Amino acid sequence: MKQITIIAFIAGFAALLPLAIGENPYFIGVLISVLMMAALSSAWNILGGYAGQYSFGHAAYFGAGAYTTMILISRFNINPLVSMVAGIIVACIIALITGSIVFRLRGHYFGLASIAVAEIVRLSALNFDFTGGAQGILLSDVSLWGLDLNSKLPFYYGMLLVLVITLGITLNLRKSKTGYYLQAIREDQDAAASLGINLSFYKNKALLISAALTSVLGSLYAVYIRFIDTTAVLDLRLSIEIILTAIIGGVGTLWGPVLGAVLLVPLAEMLRSNVLGDVLVKQGIVSENSGLGVFLKENLAHAHVLVYGIITVLCILYMPKGILGLFRRKK
Amino acid sequence: MFFLQSLLSGILTGGVYALAGIGMSLVFGVMNISNFAHGDLMMLGMYLAYFAFTLLHIDPYLSLLLIIPTAFLFGFILEKVFIHKIIDHPHQNQILLTIGLGLIMSNTALLAFTSDPKILTTSYSSSAVHILGGISLSVPLLLSFAITTVITGILFLFLSKTTTGLALWATSQNREAAQLMGINVAKMSAIAFGLGTALAATAGALIAPTYYIYPMAGHTFLLKAFTICVLGGLGSVIGAGIGGIIIGIVESMSSTYLSSDWKDVVVFIIFLAVLLLRPQGLLGKKGEQ
Repeated sequence: MKQITIIAFIAGFAALLPLAIGENPYFIGVLISVLMMAALSSAWNILGGYAGQYSFGHAAYFGAGAYTTMILISRFNINPLVSMVAGIIVACIIALITGSIVFRLRGHYFGLASIAVAEIVRLSALNFDFTGGAQGILLSDVSLWGLDLNSKLPFYYGMLLVLVITLGITLNLRKSKTGYYLQAIREDQDAAASLGINLSFYKNKALLISAALTSVLGSLYAVYIRFIDTTAVLDLRLSIEIILTAIIGGVGTLWGPVLGAVLLVPLAEMLRSNVLGDVLVKQGIVSENSGLGVFLKENLAHAHVLVYGIITVLCILYMPKGILGLFRRKK
Repeated sequence: MFFLQSLLSGILTGGVYALAGIGMSLVFGVMNISNFAHGDLMMLGMYLAYFAFTLLHIDPYLSLLLIIPTAFLFGFILEKVFIHKIIDHPHQNQILLTIGLGLIMSNTALLAFTSDPKILTTSYSSSAVHILGGISLSVPLLLSFAITTVITGILFLFLSKTTTGLALWATSQNREAAQLMGINVAKMSAIAFGLGTALAATAGALIAPTYYIYPMAGHTFLLKAFTICVLGGLGSVIGAGIGGIIIGIVESMSSTYLSSDWKDVVVFIIFLAVLLLRPQGLLGKKGEQ
């Protein structure tokens, strides 16, 4: 089956899913998180997976979209879609500045510089007044074409649409000249340059595509949650979660980031909402009133990052190409 | 007067930063690995000093005698169990593995010690020495600067006079050539990582009396340590020492003349400027980027 058919098939399935499970806000909420992380990680994958440029600062683009949108809507009452486009422009400007500084560097330096840029963006949002500082920005009311934005469904379909577009771009990229150039750059920069590939042009192109998609997701997220602060949308932890999702699924594959999100987001959600602890208690594995039971109840909700850490270490040591990498044909 | 005050406190704080930077640079030089767990190792050092003080009633500066060997052993084991397996991997995998290890450390600390910041208050925590009529220097900062100087001195003697030290130096110059000369580079890596960990933990213990102790404290210091290393030239131990002092001064000056909210931004802008203008760092060799 062609990849594009699979994308269409899965998208169709995802589109019908809310009808099947009904309007359960909790499940729809988890599914929105899955779709968002899948799309974020896929967008990162265009730069990290195909061009081999590991950005450790993608939260900057997510935050650029989220903040621009929220400021324009809450202060100037501008149409959400127009604000989203403005977010893309801001994210692309940050990306161009980042790219012009960091793409001349290689190896360790690129990752470090991408973190530095993201931290400058985060600290600026924290210290300026127009970004709401440490309080963040709260959005009381928003409307678009009479859509019910209090419902979660518009955001579910919005995230799904961005995911499908991202996968479509990735698929198209793999078969295009740009895609081959990017993979050549990933495999050997010097060889690619000696063949006449303009390294910085193609790296910047991949970064811009990736940043624009990431910023759209940031805008969607901001209007969906209606509250943003630097911890939610600009933290280094977000950048790292985006990478981990791709790594665990399989970097540089079309479906790896999606698979990573499908596995990791529900796991994190289960830990956060204490489902796992409850199951352990109900199965009689851990007694509710024992020391361990109380400890799990109080602490398991904070443990999802710890679990991410453990999974990352195991993944890098034993399965560096991710889950999909295990099934790939050996060259 | 403000200027002098700010300059001197900058130099004192910078000394501790230098220690953290030297640890990271040593690991980078010998192993060619960017250690993203470095900040979290510092955080562990802070907690070690805190618990040595509250539980065992050992002065934080005296507790270094316990912390340094413990941290060295911990780093040595970390290298033997995890890091050495990825020493030939692409650098992004090395970064991710150390990020993973760092997440495990900081979140285990979060589970064990909760996110409430702890404060280590010694009898001399808020005392200060006054010199030149108006300049006050905090006693804990003076003590930690003195200890930093001693430790850096010992480290240099070790690196330049002992066989192991010279072998480390050689490995950082050229790993393959060192191996051909009969140096056990695997052992050197473990020693370098142990030393790096010990230096990080020492820096953590030294700032513990003047800083909030919390599980995510490492985050800020990680980025600072990287800035210091890049400023000095990745892998250059002397460069990291100078870089640390410079960053200390920059921070202190920007707090005085700008605002303490923006001091980290200034540090990161310097970081990017160095990458842009002199990616090999102040003391690095050309063509290493």
